[in-house]
Amino acid sequence: MTLSSPLEMRIRRRQLVLGLGAWPLAMAPTARAAIGGLPSNTGHADISPEWELLRGRLFGARPIAAGSGRVQLIAPLRAAYGASVPVKIVSQLAQTPALYVKRLHLLVDKNPSPLAATLELTPEVGQADFETRLRVDEYSHVRVVSELSNGELHMDSRYVKTSGGCSAPPNRDSPELIGRTIFKLPEPPKMDAPTTADLTVIHPNDTGFELNNVTVMYIPSYFVRTIAVSYAGRKIFDADLDFSISENPTWRFNFVPHTPGELRAEVADSKERHYTGSLQVG
Amino acid sequence: MTKSRRTIAGALLALLVTAANAVGIPPAYTPLVVEPAVSAGRSEFDLGPALARAKRENKRLYVYLGASDCPYCRRYENFLGKNADELVPHFKPWIVVDLRSTLSTTANRLFIRVGDTSLNYTDFQRAIDDQRTRMLVYPSVWLFDPQMKPLMQMPAGTGTFETVEEQLEILNLVQ
Repeated sequence: MTLSSPLEMRIRRRQLVLGLGAWPLAMAPTARAAIGGLPSNTGHADISPEWELLRGRLFGARPIAAGSGRVQLIAPLRAAYGASVPVKIVSQLAQTPALYVKRLHLLVDKNPSPLAATLELTPEVGQADFETRLRVDEYSHVRVVSELSNGELHMDSRYVKTSGGCSAPPNRDSPELIGRTIFKLPEPPKMDAPTTADLTVIHPNDTGFELNNVTVMYIPSYFVRTIAVSYAGRKIFDADLDFSISENPTWRFNFVPHTPGELRAEVADSKERHYTGSLQVG
Repeated sequence: MTKSRRTIAGALLALLVTAANAVGIPPAYTPLVVEPAVSAGRSEFDLGPALARAKRENKRLYVYLGASDCPYCRRYENFLGKNADELVPHFKPWIVVDLRSTLSTTANRLFIRVGDTSLNYTDFQRAIDDQRTRMLVYPSVWLFDPQMKPLMQMPAGTGTFETVEEQLEILNLVQ
């Protein structure tokens, strides 16, 4: 795989943080095989060897409450496309300065880079519900770990089945559109209440593992690295992302507008290119 | 080995290789094979006769779209063949429809006809509210009731139901 230098450093940094070597999951203990060749840990709430490893690296010995109901992850058992698995995070907690969801970690246990996203939230989110689309490389648990402002950790997980097939390569006919950052409000804004917004960044979000069928060369990794979203100059959330997020990364989120203002996203990708998008609200 | 014996052995081997790589749903499933009507660069599969039979026999439709040059299709078909003894009884409430395509038949060239309406792949998927509009993947399976109402959102490809247990999940509409 050919990596640009900043990206290589970034992946190495992630691997160091997670305590992983080069493509470490291949070395992780595999799940036990059940009759018929399926792993035995296919229950939505089951753990996996990969998660055991990640958990220690990301959260140390901190207790994580599983299935507490504080956070819920919604994902299909069999996604229409493995390259674009819709997931929804639902938080059963209103964002108040006294207690709020401070951080959300979205993981795909068996992906080459399992930490798909880390979101740093503020109470300005109003309601910490998020939707996005993930790449799920093989049968895997998808997990969300919600970190509250009081330090509590809560987790929910779903087991997702995906597989390959024969198809045409993704459309890359419009490179000039890369970085275009678009906001949409599915409904009119509500002042002083959580308002839903959709953010899409046009970007191939290439993993580096995909073969170009024409050139028979691997398409180099190239993906959206960070997104910082603000409203009227106040931070809503920051996202630290990876190529486990699908092509044309899309996020549905909430924010609380108190006065008319500008919804703004600042985006950086793995080639250190920067893009912005904005929408006047109210 | 004499020349004639070598010839017979060669012929037998060729027959075995051909059987192992046979295209389409194995005969044990008594598939209704649908070849496309090809004209002006489009391949049209008519689901009308399958639907009429489903209504007549009050059976569900298990519509399989495979391609003659698609390795994933051969894998699924081989899986079905290998497990026919176990699986065929579970397919009894279904009519298996085998649409035989090629990888060069892309989404804009593949048409599906039901009665007077013929739609290309993407429009057909939109019409039945199927999420698989973005990309045509071989192989694909649709599940319909006798009124052609989709019974479950299916994944692109068949890799998620290539164990007996998972194939039964699909036939039992486990989501």
